[in-house]
Amino acid sequence: MNDLRPLWLPLALAGLAVLVLLLDLLGPPHGAKPPGRGTGLLAAVGLAGLLAATFFVDGSGSAASGAFQGNAWSLFFQRLFLAAGLLGALGGLDDVAKRTARRQGEYWLLLLLCLDGMVLLAGASDLVLLVVSFELMSLPLYVLAAYAKTDVDEEALRTRASEASLKLYLVGATSTAVTLFGLALLTGMAGTTRLATLGAAPITPLSAVGLVFVLGGLGYKIGMVPFHMWVPDTYQGARLPFVAFLSVAPKAAGISVLASIFLFGLGAHRGHWVPPLAMMALLSMGVGNLLALPQTDLRRLFGYSGIAQMGYVLVAVAAGDAFGASMTLFFLTAYVFTNLGALLVVHAASEAGGGFDEESLAGLWKRAPGLAVALACFLLSLAGIPFMVGFWAKFYVFVAAWRAGLVGLVAAAIVLAVMGLFYYLRVLRAAYMTEPGELHTPAPGIALKLAIGLCVLAVVALGLWPGPLVDAATRAGADFVSLSASPAPTAR
Amino acid sequence: MNDHLLSLIVAAPALAALVVMFLPDGARQAIRWVSLLGASVSLLGSIQALVTYDSARGGLQRVEDYPIVPSMGVHLRLAQDGWGGPLLLLTGVIIFAGVLASWTVSKRDKEYFVLLLVLVSGVLGVFVSQDLLIFFLFYEVAVLPMYLLIGIWGASHAVPAKGPFQAAWKAFAVGDKQYAAMKLTLMLLVGSAAIMAAIFVLYLQAGATSFDLAHLAATNYDRDTQIIVFPLIWLGFGTLAGVFPFHTWSPDGHASAPTAVSMLHAGVLMKLGAFGVMRVGMVLLPEGTHFWVPVVGAVAAVNILYGALCAMSQTDLKYIVAYSSVSHMGVVMLGAATLTPAGWDGAVFQMVAHGIMTGLFFALVGIVYERAHTRAIAKMGGFATVMPGVAVFFTLACLSSLGLPGTAGFVSEFVVFLAAWRSGHLIWTIAGVLGAFITAIYVLRATRAIFWGPGPSDDFHELSDARRTEWGALIILGTSLVALGVWPRLLLDPIDVGTLTHLARLVPGVVR
Repeated sequence: MNDLRPLWLPLALAGLAVLVLLLDLLGPPHGAKPPGRGTGLLAAVGLAGLLAATFFVDGSGSAASGAFQGNAWSLFFQRLFLAAGLLGALGGLDDVAKRTARRQGEYWLLLLLCLDGMVLLAGASDLVLLVVSFELMSLPLYVLAAYAKTDVDEEALRTRASEASLKLYLVGATSTAVTLFGLALLTGMAGTTRLATLGAAPITPLSAVGLVFVLGGLGYKIGMVPFHMWVPDTYQGARLPFVAFLSVAPKAAGISVLASIFLFGLGAHRGHWVPPLAMMALLSMGVGNLLALPQTDLRRLFGYSGIAQMGYVLVAVAAGDAFGASMTLFFLTAYVFTNLGALLVVHAASEAGGGFDEESLAGLWKRAPGLAVALACFLLSLAGIPFMVGFWAKFYVFVAAWRAGLVGLVAAAIVLAVMGLFYYLRVLRAAYMTEPGELHTPAPGIALKLAIGLCVLAVVALGLWPGPLVDAATRAGADFVSLSASPAPTAR
Repeated sequence: MNDHLLSLIVAAPALAALVVMFLPDGARQAIRWVSLLGASVSLLGSIQALVTYDSARGGLQRVEDYPIVPSMGVHLRLAQDGWGGPLLLLTGVIIFAGVLASWTVSKRDKEYFVLLLVLVSGVLGVFVSQDLLIFFLFYEVAVLPMYLLIGIWGASHAVPAKGPFQAAWKAFAVGDKQYAAMKLTLMLLVGSAAIMAAIFVLYLQAGATSFDLAHLAATNYDRDTQIIVFPLIWLGFGTLAGVFPFHTWSPDGHASAPTAVSMLHAGVLMKLGAFGVMRVGMVLLPEGTHFWVPVVGAVAAVNILYGALCAMSQTDLKYIVAYSSVSHMGVVMLGAATLTPAGWDGAVFQMVAHGIMTGLFFALVGIVYERAHTRAIAKMGGFATVMPGVAVFFTLACLSSLGLPGTAGFVSEFVVFLAAWRSGHLIWTIAGVLGAFITAIYVLRATRAIFWGPGPSDDFHELSDARRTEWGALIILGTSLVALGVWPRLLLDPIDVGTLTHLARLVPGVVR
């Protein structure tokens, strides 16, 4: 008999989604009076509650005939997704209520379903469940990217939203097909869909082709070079609070899949996948950093910077051992708080008029000192400056890769990181070294302030005292990789 | 003994910055007094640390250890060695004077003092860190606020576009404060990247268990590693120390920076670079050092001469002082390159002496510029009649700069050149002495042109002498300069203790 306890979180999240749906349907009718934010608040509070509950409910063990494994690794990712979802929800609460007042319920429903896919994904140890939960995560995102389409007044923004969504959808659907094809080849050669036994079969030319297809397909999802083209356009077209969520949680989920398939499933064959992965890491860092340099639109700038950041994560994955896996987790945690926070600040600043160019930040130090300080923290963290969590993230990623012998990659990464500093400093300059001119004072709502505040707190606190997080990540990573090294469980 | 004095010294400015951050915008006086309080705690603490350092016992004292990431061997480990006290004192003096000199800053003063104080916490932290990674973290904290400090509060000035690169000069707005800020930050961070790579090698080859400097120093790295890693550290930290040809950020940066920032930057930050080369590069990598030391010394000699020659041809007062810093930092590196006790004593003493002297210089330049609104020497003249006090202190700084006996500058230059001579480096010695000679020419010429020449022109009759807090800054810096000149043993004794400890790694069985 299967024990459902390891699946408590996906089930609870689905329950929350149903509650949100019910509240939307049974709540006050959408009459002349604009609807309140009930659904959004319910989603946010529910996510906070579930995040807290992960510290008390024991979800370890396997469920669904071993297709789902609850362990320290999956728990780490689940918490990360919940935190990202919570911050994304808080950050988007006001914007959704303002821009799409009459369709709030659907927005939160989709967001929760997307998160449900992610928390399921974190523990999926069977390729079928992995693919299904990945699609559960992806499909809502396509809808959410175009969410502002019919409610925004400006024509230009509407077409942008369509473009953003369509690009995300076409690329996503194609990459799913590519991934599936690759997985079909891999499973065909290995004769199993279980991740744990995937690596038991030797690598044949056909499974090597499959491996490359999987890498490419997942590369699309997380936006690594050369599969990155959709990233800046989608960032530019969708609403920023959603982009803030999109830029962190799905990417972390993509990395988790990548780690599941390659580190866990094919860990025995790292000689085959480390070189292409390292090459893509290098390309992502190089192209991301270089193309971010000339961007004037902050959304595109953060799009390219995100591509570069994904490159750093891949450096850790490419280390291919338990320490690399741990530092992947650490980096992703840092990235989630930092990037989400940065985009929320840009959103808050853009609400005061002035668009999304660097000029929209002009004189931010005077108009909104709090936002300016927060932005400085995020930018310094992204740039990897000490006493911000981003420094430790980069540092440990580099240590992991260096220990694994990828010295050249680390050397290149360090040089590219310095290059990245240039555009982060430029944004900082826009916020600190200019006068406000005609721009208004941004007035973020309480929820948005709370989200940004939590991000700042995480970035600074973890920057000053990273010890506990490093230890947690190390435990999770060691747990994960030791599982893959242990003899494969007998098929039932 | 564990009395948390070092944490107090390091944290006081940062805590003051935190308090200032939450003061209301209009509280001008409160902002300044809180900043001064933070600076005084560091200054008094560093005096206490220096005086109570037990030279007879030597070694690391006042060790404090707080685990940051114990599983990876990162500890916030503070301790004071022989060099720590004098360098803390230097920093304390400069920031105290720097806050006084910044009293009249009116533009965005709150943020200004916050950044200034954070920067100083970083500097103080570097001098007492015994953990390589924490050392590096503090180093970055000391470097980065500079970007905003120069970019916001700096001064842009016209640099005439001349020569084959004038198109490029115009395109990049050379002389613009934001150009200077970005150039400085990027150059120093490329240096940081090199240091970072070096730290990886040192950490991983030592077993990846600890960043403790003592642990790393006890590790015997193989010769090839040392030869590859030493230049990374030398050039990485050396960029901040103004090592030729990576000094080019320094004149632009110093010339564009506001007064107190120039004081701090030339006064203590450049010393961080030299300190890093000696404390990390030379002490941890003896074989690499012995291999590269002829180059280090030769480049240092070039620094002295080239810096002095560049200073000769400047017409902007601040550029003169900035290039003279490049020249004087060459003396530090030259002393370090001799690998003798006397040379190292002289190098560290020169860090302090030059720090105070150049701090005084920049404070004076700031006063002159604020009154006269020009830094072009050609326009000035006879200022001594309207600002006698400033003239006296300026002359004092000049005399120390050219190494007059009785000033701190004499002690260090004499000791270093003698050490270079006695260790058989005749060419270095000649270059150094020649540099000191050229220094005499340009500083005396500048002093004469500004203060002692024919009376002030009509534009400058209204200039006033130094005012209240400015006197404070000038007096504390000037007094220190003379005090160290007549009683160098105050600092040389503890410095010597530190030197012998550290040099023993490089030259086994070294004695005075």
